[in-house]
Amino acid sequence: MISRRTLELATAILTGGFGVAVVVQSLDNGIGWSSAGVDAGTFPFLTGIIIVVGSLYNLVRGVLPVATLANVPIAITPIELRRLAGLFVPAAIFVAAIPLAGMYVASALYVFAVLAIPRHQSVPRALTMAGATAFALYVVFERAFQVSLPHGALAAALGF
Amino acid sequence: MDNLAELLHGFTIAVTVPHLALMVVGVLLGILVGVLPGLGAPNGVSLLLPLTFGMQPVSAIILLSSMYWGALFGGSVTSILFNIPGEPSSVATTFDGYPMARDGRPTTALATAFGSAAIGALVGVILITFLASWVAEVALAFGPAEYFAVYFLAFASFVGMGGAAPIKTVVALAIGFAIAAIGIDTVSGSVRLTMGVDELVKGVSFVVAVMGLFGIGELLVAVEEEFHARAVSSKIDWAEVFRAVGRLPRHGVALLRSAAIGCWMGITPGGPTAASFMSYGIARRFSRRGRYFGTGEVEGIISPETADHAAGTSALLPMLSLGIPGSATAAVMMGGLMIWGLNPGPMLFVDQKDFVWGLIASMYVGNIVAVALVLLTVPVFAALMRIPFVVIAPLIVIICVVGAYSVSNSYLDVVMMLGFGVVGYLFKKLFYPLAPLVLAIVIGDKAEDAFRQSMLMSRGSLGIFFANKLVTCLIVAGIALLLLPLVLQLARLWRKPASAAAETTAQEKVII
Repeated sequence: MISRRTLELATAILTGGFGVAVVVQSLDNGIGWSSAGVDAGTFPFLTGIIIVVGSLYNLVRGVLPVATLANVPIAITPIELRRLAGLFVPAAIFVAAIPLAGMYVASALYVFAVLAIPRHQSVPRALTMAGATAFALYVVFERAFQVSLPHGALAAALGF
Repeated sequence: MDNLAELLHGFTIAVTVPHLALMVVGVLLGILVGVLPGLGAPNGVSLLLPLTFGMQPVSAIILLSSMYWGALFGGSVTSILFNIPGEPSSVATTFDGYPMARDGRPTTALATAFGSAAIGALVGVILITFLASWVAEVALAFGPAEYFAVYFLAFASFVGMGGAAPIKTVVALAIGFAIAAIGIDTVSGSVRLTMGVDELVKGVSFVVAVMGLFGIGELLVAVEEEFHARAVSSKIDWAEVFRAVGRLPRHGVALLRSAAIGCWMGITPGGPTAASFMSYGIARRFSRRGRYFGTGEVEGIISPETADHAAGTSALLPMLSLGIPGSATAAVMMGGLMIWGLNPGPMLFVDQKDFVWGLIASMYVGNIVAVALVLLTVPVFAALMRIPFVVIAPLIVIICVVGAYSVSNSYLDVVMMLGFGVVGYLFKKLFYPLAPLVLAIVIGDKAEDAFRQSMLMSRGSLGIFFANKLVTCLIVAGIALLLLPLVLQLARLWRKPASAAAETTAQEKVII
């Protein structure tokens, strides 16, 4: 179970961290005024500062027991978390598999896995859908619009 | 009268067989993404974007804008028949649309929604026809300082009127600006904010951000609440369609009021979602039958739908004449304009007359095409909703992955897209607004350039933003909008300390 407060804090830390990274990086480009006008780092530096300050404000509001947050103590229930993971984890594995397996094989495996493993569809139907997905991608991108999707290291090793 | 002549010329461009075919394709694809939860107009338009690079700009914009109209209509179909808003902007339509459909009047609900939506869109297009070229003419005299002031006003109006928590809006905007700055700086040529990743020199494309924020993010929100599509009958009774549309003039006041709210929210970048909620809220307060709202009131459908479409349409006015998009989808389209080699802004009205007036004329025709197609295809798309979500979800993931990859054939973009998905989910869950984030990514560079050019002109003095009446007014209006939430908060605290918190919760409910 994840409370609304934890989620607010995590997000504020995430945005604040990004803000700090922006501030640090923009210092390399120089901030302030030079012969060429406003330095390249100035604008990002200012936005970084705004992100950090805003995140701090959100962080404090997240910590303080404000009435708004007390109304929604639970942001994500365990069941919802399982559903989220059920969508996101396979998607992340799919993306991670693309460099090796290539877009076509990876997406076919992905569709097959999410449909057949939790038994949402029978194996033959899942196989058909997986095949149809890869084929549709091939026809639309490789053939019709001449956009080459990654074939993957495996295909390269096999000589495709 | 000049405008009318130009418009007639525009019709000769828009009403040709290839363009009408593009409208049909665009509207159908739009209804499809509108119906599917997890895919919305911003995604749909950015998915189509890479496929338009080989087209004439005017054909490309007709395709993309038709898709936008289709998506606006498609979102209402699922709201009414399934109580599932296909688009955030049609959430308010579920309040009265679904109860009416459930009571056995689905045709009435759909026809009322489409009829009032068409009226809203019509008002928006008429506004563009008469105002856009005038605004562009004024804007032609703008220097960098005026431009920066207009950008500033646009961003400030998100903070002041967006409806989300103001500081969250500010953070979302600033993150967008920082993302826009990643890559090569156009003024000095130096490389910025790459965080040690060399591939980031090319910058972060807004398409990648949109795919993640709106695609994966929306999907994660949708999967959380496993909804079941319990459809009411989706049969269309054609006689009732005409009867329902015929009854619309009785609600003339509601129509006009909602259209006005929509146009206002579309031009100032409040967006269709905020417009539909605001219009629904105001209608409930002012209607004589306000207390029946939520049980299937006609005006409860008319108000959000009219405002939604009026805002969606008029969001293109500032995009065309100033180069500032009024909604997330308009921001994506503007990104397209820049990729096609056009420079959004007042010069379009001088250099690209065919493009501008072809587009405006196509809006009249496209909306008629959209109304006809959406009525004809309701049963088809309603059947689509019976496909289980577990089957649709992986397909949407694949579409987003391929879409992000095909922007610049980069695997890093795919990984970033997934990252944006997580951010999109968190932001949606915690009521950070996404539209300003996308808007800042698209026009962040231009706003920064305008600022730096004006600083060069004034040798570093901020006085240039108060140098003449126009620029002073814009800046002062912007500052006023920025401070508006603070003032309201203080006023509320001063009057009733306890009710302030309750108000915030109510606001949060509204921006979902």
